[in-house]
Amino acid sequence: MSDFKKEMMFLLGHYGHIGITFVASIFLGMGAGILLDQKVFDGRTAPWFTFIGLAFGIAAGFKSLFDILWKSSKELEKDKTDQED
Amino acid sequence: MEHPILFISVILEALGLPVPHGPVGHTFLEQICAPYMTYTWLVMAFLFFVSKLTVSNLEMVPGKGQNFWEIVIGGLDNFFAENMGRKLTDQFFPMLTTFGLYIAVANLIGLIPGFMSPTSSLNTTLALTIIVWVSHHFIGIREHGLNYYKHFMGPMWWLVPLMLPIEIISNLARLISLSIRLFGNIMAKETLLGILFMLAGAFFAPLPIMLLGVLVSLVQAMVFVLLAVVYFGQAQEHAH
Repeated sequence: MSDFKKEMMFLLGHYGHIGITFVASIFLGMGAGILLDQKVFDGRTAPWFTFIGLAFGIAAGFKSLFDILWKSSKELEKDKTDQED
Repeated sequence: MEHPILFISVILEALGLPVPHGPVGHTFLEQICAPYMTYTWLVMAFLFFVSKLTVSNLEMVPGKGQNFWEIVIGGLDNFFAENMGRKLTDQFFPMLTTFGLYIAVANLIGLIPGFMSPTSSLNTTLALTIIVWVSHHFIGIREHGLNYYKHFMGPMWWLVPLMLPIEIISNLARLISLSIRLFGNIMAKETLLGILFMLAGAFFAPLPIMLLGVLVSLVQAMVFVLLAVVYFGQAQEHAH
């Protein structure tokens, strides 16, 4: 497969996917926090677990974004060393 | 909005079978006769018979049909082997290729009037995603045994309380994002086509969207397979 096509596939696949992964992470984190607040502790800890869950969700979203960035920079380096050999 | 005419549903109703008018049926028979189910079977039958007709007798000098399949299968095989290694490719090639071909055909079939994309129902895409998600954990556990938990522990031991929830959330988010992305794209395409047909079908208004629909269908099928391959490869790698 040509380099251009491979890079195109990588970009389309990962960057086309990261947006919805980010949103899904945030909603999952906040959903878990709300569940803990309302169902497990019956609203006694009301806003706290929601906020903690939201923070973890946002962190998880950034983590999946950075994963892709690191992966793509690693692949670029690998391609460069391949070309130098 | 006007209800689209789906010819399998029309035939089933003429045969006296119950076709649900909401998104899901209530009885077992209604659930089986739901449009996304019947069109899934249509796509399955299409793939089965086309491959049966074209490659039932393999020849040394390939004809048209065999040439096509050799390019498709060979390209996919190379792509999988580059991204997740030869061993995993040999084990999971049938599953992933079936997913790719099924999703591509299922997306494209919705462009023909009278058909619908089975992938424009969340049930179909979620089923595909759950299979991918479960098998990537299966690969991880098979490869690393109990040490697979290290994948969720982050790089350093004192970061564990921070990294564990983050890793679990981002792993579960794959389940949601993979299914909803495919479902959302295809459902949007179908709905947009339906609305444009209703508004200005006589003036060929849906034509540009159909052109884009071909692109979206192929890209989404490719992205699904690409991400499944990436997840499989990650589960097999050593923890950081």
